[in-house]
Amino acid sequence: MLYVKNLFKSYEVGKTKYQVLKGIDFHVAQGEFVAVMGPSGSGKTTLLNCISCYIPFDQGSIMVGGTKLAGQDEDTLAKIRNTKLGFVFQDFMLLDGLTIRENILIPRIIQGKVGKDAEELVDRLVAMFGIGHILNKYPAEISGGEKQRAAVARSLINNPMVILADEPTGNLDSKSSRAVIETFIEAKTKMSATIFMVTHDSFAASFCDRVILLKDGTLYRQLENHGSRGEFQDRLLDVIKEMSA
Amino acid sequence: MTQTLTMRAIEKKLQKADRKHARLYLFCNFIALMIISAYSTLMFSRTVQTVFPKGGDSRKQMYGIFVMTLVGCVVFTIYAARLFFRHKSKQLGILMAIGASRKRLRPGLFREVLVLSSFSAVLGIVAGFPFVWVVWGTFRLVLVDSSQMVLDLDFRCLFVSAAFFLLVVGLACLFAWRYLKKTNIMEVIREEHINEPVKELGRWCGPAGFLLIFAGAVTGYYAPLAWMTLFSAYPPSWLSVLYAPVFVGVYMVMLYTVVYGWGRNKKNPYKNIVSRGMMKFQAKQTVNNMLVVTVLIAGGAFAIFYLPTVGLTSVFRYESYPYDYFYQYPADQKVPGEETVRELADKYGLSLKDWNGCEYISLGVDGNVQVSDEGKKFHVEYHPIQSEARILSEDAYFTLTGQETDVSPGTYLYVTDTQESSIWTDESARNLTNMVTRECLDTEFAGYLHYDLLSNEIGYYVLDNDEYEKIAEGLTDEWRGHIVQFNADGRDSYQFADAFYDLFVSSFDESCEHAYFYNKVSKIVAEERGETYEIEEEWQISYNDTDNMSFKLFWAYSPSFRILLINEHLCLMGVLYMMFLFIFIVCLVTSLVVCYTRCQTIVLNNRYIFDDLKKLGATPAFLSKEVRLQCGNVFKVPATVGTGAMYLMYALLLYANDGKVTAYEAIGLLATLGIVALIGAVVYGTYRGSVRTIMRQLGIM
Repeated sequence: MLYVKNLFKSYEVGKTKYQVLKGIDFHVAQGEFVAVMGPSGSGKTTLLNCISCYIPFDQGSIMVGGTKLAGQDEDTLAKIRNTKLGFVFQDFMLLDGLTIRENILIPRIIQGKVGKDAEELVDRLVAMFGIGHILNKYPAEISGGEKQRAAVARSLINNPMVILADEPTGNLDSKSSRAVIETFIEAKTKMSATIFMVTHDSFAASFCDRVILLKDGTLYRQLENHGSRGEFQDRLLDVIKEMSA
Repeated sequence: MTQTLTMRAIEKKLQKADRKHARLYLFCNFIALMIISAYSTLMFSRTVQTVFPKGGDSRKQMYGIFVMTLVGCVVFTIYAARLFFRHKSKQLGILMAIGASRKRLRPGLFREVLVLSSFSAVLGIVAGFPFVWVVWGTFRLVLVDSSQMVLDLDFRCLFVSAAFFLLVVGLACLFAWRYLKKTNIMEVIREEHINEPVKELGRWCGPAGFLLIFAGAVTGYYAPLAWMTLFSAYPPSWLSVLYAPVFVGVYMVMLYTVVYGWGRNKKNPYKNIVSRGMMKFQAKQTVNNMLVVTVLIAGGAFAIFYLPTVGLTSVFRYESYPYDYFYQYPADQKVPGEETVRELADKYGLSLKDWNGCEYISLGVDGNVQVSDEGKKFHVEYHPIQSEARILSEDAYFTLTGQETDVSPGTYLYVTDTQESSIWTDESARNLTNMVTRECLDTEFAGYLHYDLLSNEIGYYVLDNDEYEKIAEGLTDEWRGHIVQFNADGRDSYQFADAFYDLFVSSFDESCEHAYFYNKVSKIVAEERGETYEIEEEWQISYNDTDNMSFKLFWAYSPSFRILLINEHLCLMGVLYMMFLFIFIVCLVTSLVVCYTRCQTIVLNNRYIFDDLKKLGATPAFLSKEVRLQCGNVFKVPATVGTGAMYLMYALLLYANDGKVTAYEAIGLLATLGIVALIGAVVYGTYRGSVRTIMRQLGIM
C-alpha cells in the first residue's frame, strides 16, 4: 500500500546542510497499523511530511497505492492528499467555524462529492468512535479527545489508502489517548484502514502491528507485534534504551 | 442537509465565522474610502477652489496633504488586509493539508475579498458625503460662518473616490493571490514562526544613531546655504539627500531601543530578558513598522500643529492692531473720503471714530540684486535704483502712531512690527531717488520704529522732516499717496466692512491693478536698461474677482480691515485646518491600526513562548508585563519620536523665521502641547486596548 525506497532528504540552514533522512526503505501493507518511533532529530516527522506530500524529497521514491509521489505537480499532489491519504494532526486542525459533521465531511466537500453515502459514512464513523452526540457541535465546544476522534473520522471519510497520523496523542491525556488509539484499531479492524503513525508514546505504539525505529535518519530496527500489548511495549522500551546507549 | 454541503456553502459558513477578523478589514477600508471621498469632495468644492489661490502655497499644501492622505490610506488598507489574510492563511493551510488545491480555493477566496472590499469601499464612499457635510457644518458653527463657506458637490470628486475604490479592490485581490501562493502547509501545521536570523546588534548602534540624526540634520539644513556661498549658484534639489542620515539614525536608534532599551539595570541584568529575547528575532520587522508609524504620526502631528503654531499667531496679530481700519492709496486715485465713508457706516448703524491719516511718498531705493546666469548660477549686482520704497516724514509717522521720533539727517528709521518678527526689513539702503527729478539722497540705516500696521511686505522708511520735504519736491501724484486709519465706535460691522471694501476697490483705476510684488521702480529701471520686466502669469491679479482670496492677499493696495481679516483668516484657516484635520485623522488611525496589527503579529509569532512560560510557572502578572513590554515599544516609541520631532520642527521654524520666538508664538507652542497630550492619550488608550485584546487571546486574563 505504501512503499518508501532509498529515501533521502536534507535541509539547508544558512550555509549548513543537514542530512535528515539517509536512505530509508520500508513498506506498509494494506490494513496494517504501523508506528514510527525514534528520538528527536531522528527524521520521523520529516519522513511523514515527505509521505504527506508537504515537502519534496531529494532522492528515492514513495509510492501510495501504486502512485509515485515524485515529480507530480501541485494539483496532482493535492488530489493525492485528498483521495489517497487521510490525515490526523497533533493539533487536530479542525476548522473552528464548522460543526463536527461539516469538519468530517470536508475532504468530500473539497472533492465535490457529498452524497447520501458520505452522510451514511459519517453516521457510521461517529457511532463507531462514540462521538455521535457531538455531531452538531463546534470544535470549541468539545474535548481534545473528542476533537481527535472527529479528526480520525475526517481522515477516513474518503476511504483513503493510508491514514497518516502525526503524534495523534501528543496533546491528549492518557484516557483520551487510549480512546483515540482505539478509534484507529476500530478503523483497521472494521474498515481495513492502513495507518502510519508517528509517535513518541511507547504506550500508543504498543497497539500497532509493527514499529519502525529511526535513528539519525536511518532505519535502526523494525519490531513486529506478535504477543501481548504489554510484552510488545516492554520490547519496545528495551530497544529504545539500547538505541539511546 | 447534505445536498447543501458544497464548497461554496462551507466557504460562506467559514466567512461568517471569520466576521471577527473581517471586521477590522472592513472598518479600515470603510474609513479610508470615507476619508478620501470626504477629502476629495472638500478639495473640489467651489469654496476651497476660491479660498486657496491658484499656484499659491496653500493650494500646494492642500494637494500635498491629499497625496499624504492617499499614501496614509493605502498603508492603512494594506496593513488591515495583511492582518486579515494572516488569519485567513491558517484556514487555507488546513484545507490545503487535507487535499484542497490552490486552484480549488482560489474562486472562493477571491469572491470573499471582492465582496468585502467592494462592500466596505462603496459604503465608505457614500458615508464620505454626510461626513464632510457634518465636519463642514461644525466648522461653520464653531469657527467661522460667512457667505464664502458654502459646500457644494463637484462631480469630479467621484473620479478620485472611484480610482481609490479600484485601488483598494485591486490591492485586496493582489493580497488574496499572494497569500494563497505563499501559504505554507508546514507552517500552518507546525505553527512555527521562522525567526528572522538577526546578527547580534552592536551596542554602538544607539549612540551612533543619535550622531547620524544630528549630523544629517545639520548637514541637510546648512548644505544649501554653503552651496550658494561656495558656488554662487542655486542649490540643486538632490542636496536634500544629505538629510538621509537622519532617517538611518532614527532607524538605528529605534532598533537599539527595541533590542536593548536605554535604561540599563545593573542590579537586575535579567530584567525584561524574555521580552528582549523575543524582540531580538523580530526587531527588524518591528522597527520597520515603527518607522512607518513614526512617519505617519509625524505627518499627523505636522497637520494638527499647524493651527496653534501658525494659524493662531496671525489672529493674535490682527487683534493687536491699534486701528480697525487701515488703508493706503496713490494720490491719483479717487478713493472715497471721510464724509462718504461715514455716510456708508451710518447705513449700517455704525459710527466711526479716531479718523486720521497722512501722506507718504514713493521713492526708488538702491540694493543688491541676485541675477540669474546660465544654468543654476547667479551673481549679485548692486543697483543704485533697485526697487520702490514708501517714505514717511517724522510728522506723518507721529500723526499715524502718536510716536514722537527724531530722525537724524542723512539717516532713516525702518518701520517693523512690535515683536520685531517681520521678515520684511531693510537695513542696507544707502541711496533714495526721486523717480521724477532723479534727485538722490544719501542715507543710512539708524534703527527701527515699531508699528504693526506699517509692517508689511511693502516696507516704510521714516525720514527727517526737512529731508523728506526736499526729496519729495517735484513728485507727481503718481508717486504720492495717502494712508488712512480709523476705528469703529462700538461693535464693528462685518457688513459695513464688506461694503466699504467693495467701494474701496472699485474706486481704483487700471494703473493699480497689480500685486504687491509688482514694483514700478524695478519696471522703470529694467526698461531703462533695455530689459523687460515681467511678473509670472500665476501671480497676476484682476479686478474681475476682487473677492478671491488671492486678490485680497496679493493686491498692492489691499486694505487692512480687522473684521474682514480675522474672518477671512479664520475662513482660510478653517478650510486649511479641515484639510489638516483629515490628514491628522488618517495618519493617526492608520498608525494605530499598524501598531495594533504589529502587536497582533508579535502575539501570533510568540504564542508558544507564552504557553511555554505558563508551563514554566509564569504568573499572569509576569505574562501581562511581558505583553505590555512587547506592545509598549510599538506604540510609545513612534508616538514620542513622531510628535517630538514635529514639535521641535515647528519650534525651530518659528525661531528660524526671525531669530526669535515671539509671545504669540510661545502661546501657540503651549497650545500645541495640549494637542501633544491629546495624541498621547489616544495612543495610550489604543495601546491599553491592544494589550487587553492580546491578553485575552493568550488566555492570560
